[in-house]
Amino acid sequence: MPENTPVVKAVNIKKRFGDKEILKGISFELYRGEIKAIIGPSGGGKSTLLHCINFLTRYDKGRIWLNGTEINDTDKRELCTYRQKVGMIFQDFNLFDHLNALQNVQIGLVRVKKIPKSEAKERAIAELVRVGLKEHLEKYPAELSGGQKQRVSIARALAMDPEVMLLDEPTSALDPELIGEVHTVIQDLAAGGMTMMLVTHEIGFAGSLASEIMFMDEGVILEKGPPRKILSEATCERTRDFCDKIIHIHHKDI
Amino acid sequence: MNEMLFIHNEVVPAMIRGVWMSIRLIVPSAIFGLIIGIITGTLRVYGHTFLKSAANIYVTIFRGFPLLIQLYLWYFGLARFGVYFAPYTAAVIGFSLCSGAYHSEYIRGALLSIKNGQMLGAQSLGFSKAQALFSIILPQAVRRALPGCGNELIYLIKYSSLAYMVTCIELTGEAKILASLYFKYTEMFFIAGAIYLVLVSIATWLLNSMENRLTVPGFEPPRT
Repeated sequence: MPENTPVVKAVNIKKRFGDKEILKGISFELYRGEIKAIIGPSGGGKSTLLHCINFLTRYDKGRIWLNGTEINDTDKRELCTYRQKVGMIFQDFNLFDHLNALQNVQIGLVRVKKIPKSEAKERAIAELVRVGLKEHLEKYPAELSGGQKQRVSIARALAMDPEVMLLDEPTSALDPELIGEVHTVIQDLAAGGMTMMLVTHEIGFAGSLASEIMFMDEGVILEKGPPRKILSEATCERTRDFCDKIIHIHHKDI
Repeated sequence: MNEMLFIHNEVVPAMIRGVWMSIRLIVPSAIFGLIIGIITGTLRVYGHTFLKSAANIYVTIFRGFPLLIQLYLWYFGLARFGVYFAPYTAAVIGFSLCSGAYHSEYIRGALLSIKNGQMLGAQSLGFSKAQALFSIILPQAVRRALPGCGNELIYLIKYSSLAYMVTCIELTGEAKILASLYFKYTEMFFIAGAIYLVLVSIATWLLNSMENRLTVPGFEPPRT
C-alpha cells in the first residue's frame, strides 16, 4: 500500500431525509495518523456524515474507499468487515445494557472476530485497563458514570483493532466534570498515532488535537484548514460567527 | 371409613393420573409455545415483508379463534381431511400454537422497547443484523418480556383443562368423571381447583427465581 493512499476517502456523499437535503456532496481524504475535527451548528449534517461513513445511515449518492479499495455497500459481509476496521463512538455510548463492562468489550471479539473466549477476555481486560477502568470490569452500564461508559465504548471499539476511529460528539452527553477523563483517553489515542475523525462542540479541544478543522453547515463543508486559521482567522463569515459564539461560551477552554 | 376408602382407592389414584397428564400437556406446550412466540415475535418486528405478514396472520387467527374451537378443529375438524391426531397430540398442538401467539405479542413489545442504539452499537463493531439480534437484542428483549411470558404460562396451566374437551383426560377430566360417577361435584372440583392452585404457585416460584437469576442492573423485574 503506497504511503499516499488515504485510509478513508469519501467523494460526493449525498443524503436526504424526505425533503431536506442533509448532506450536499461531501468529499474528504483522511490520511494515516491524521486527525480531522468537524465543527458546526447542530443540524448541519455532522453526525449524519459520520454515520454515513460507517454505513449506519445509507447515503443516497457517493463513494467511499478504505485504503484504496472501494466499499461495495450491497455486499453485507464486506460491510461487516469494513465496520470492524472503522471504530465508532456514539454520543450516547450505545453500550450493551445487559452486559458488564468486560463482556461489552469481549463480545465483539468472540462473536465477530471469532477469537476464543479466554483470549478475548485477556484482550478486553487490557483495553479496559488502557482506558483506566481496571476497577470497573464487572460493572454494568447502569452502574457506571457517563464518562466511564464512554471509556468502555472506546475500549470496545479499540479491541476490534480499527484503522480509524469516528467519534460522534463523544462528550456531549457528559456532565462537565466528566469531560476531562474522556478527553484524556482521546488524547492518548492521538499520541499513539490513531487516525481519527471527530465531531465536537468542544472547539478548544478540537483545536489542540486536530491537524485540520472542517466547518460544516447546511450539508456542506464551508471551510477547512489548520485549527489556528479556522478558529481565529476564518475567511468565511459564518465560520467566524460560529467560532466567536462558541469561544465566548467556552472561553475558559481556549 | 367409607370416605377414607373412597379417597384412597378412587380419588388419590385419579388425581395422580390427572396431574401427571396435565404436566405432560403443560411442559411441552410451554416450551414449544415460548419458542414459537420468540420466533414469530421477532419476525413481526425484524422479518421481511412476506415472513412478517405470515407471522401477523398467524397471530391474528390464533388469538382470534377461541381456544376451545381451535382444539375442536385440530381434533375433530382435521379428521374430515383424513388427518387424525391422538387427543394428547391435538391438545399439545393447540396449546402450543395458541400460547405462541400470545407470547409473540410480549416478545414484540419487548423488542420494540429496546433502543435502536443497541443495534447501531453492535453493527458498528461488525455484527451482522442477525448476529446483533441473537447476541444483543433478544437477550435484552427476553428479560423485558419475562413477566408477560410468565403470565402466559400461568394461563396455560389453567387452560390446559380444556384438553378434557377433546377426550384427553387430565386433571379436570379425572375430576369430572369421579364427580359424575359418585355425584360429588363440590368435593371433586374443589380438590381439582386446589391442585391447579398448587401448580400455579410452583410455576410462580420458578418464574420468580428465573427472573432473579437473569436480573442484571438496569433490568430489574418490575415488581411491586
